[in-house]
Amino acid sequence: MEIIDRLSAGDPEKKKYYLRLFLDTLEPELGHLKSCDVTADQEPIRSILHKLKSQVQTIGAADAHALMASQEQSIKEGGRIDQAGLDKTCELLSALIQNLQDQL
Amino acid sequence: MSKHLKIALVDDDIPNTEVLRDFLIRNGYNHVDKFHDGESFLESLDRFDERAVVLDFDLSGGGDLNGLEVLEAIKERSPQTHVIFFSGQDSLEVAVESLKNGADDYIVKSNAAFALVKTSLDKVYDLQVLRTNEKRNQRISWALALGWMITLVGVALYVAN
Repeated sequence: MEIIDRLSAGDPEKKKYYLRLFLDTLEPELGHLKSCDVTADQEPIRSILHKLKSQVQTIGAADAHALMASQEQSIKEGGRIDQAGLDKTCELLSALIQNLQDQL
Repeated sequence: MSKHLKIALVDDDIPNTEVLRDFLIRNGYNHVDKFHDGESFLESLDRFDERAVVLDFDLSGGGDLNGLEVLEAIKERSPQTHVIFFSGQDSLEVAVESLKNGADDYIVKSNAAFALVKTSLDKVYDLQVLRTNEKRNQRISWALALGWMITLVGVALYVAN
């Protein structure tokens, strides 16, 4: 969030603009992630994790970024993530989205 | 200080591209264009003659081309354009492949990534300034040499008469 705070330079409207930009991607992608089937091909899950991990990092959610990066790496190397792993990611993302919404 | 370097950001990550663009503008780069897929960027390449491109590898959210394919097309059509790979892929294979194909730098998206992109663009900008100065100095040298030649011819004609 440091970069967003720096770019907003104390302008609350500018900060809200950035937060909305991230929310516009995070909210639908969380929906897509929740609907993924862990027993099927996990490439769609990997693709969503790849897309979102840079964004959560920019927002400063280090724990979510670390989990998503490790899950993406695991799928890339031929491994699979289980339902509990996917649920944990969705839980962290939901909390992050709530946190962003609270700042609007 | 305003830095005159035309920059294109090619990345399907819309919010991060917006933040990076604003970050670069804040740091003096006043001509930064955004493209969310390789195809639309390549369409504009001839028209806008971009001097530096910050290019993501995984552009699957935008179009069919990946960053390496876009890099190949840039180097074919505009070899003087500098390309900085900016990727979420912490992959040695992709990094080596991009550098082998003419990328100037490979930056993995991280907390410090925006600052690293700026540092890399600063190097491109410095190089551009250096080249412009070299060309100007070359023109001055030629003008001086020509001036001397004209003077010498004038003196020679004067002496001969």
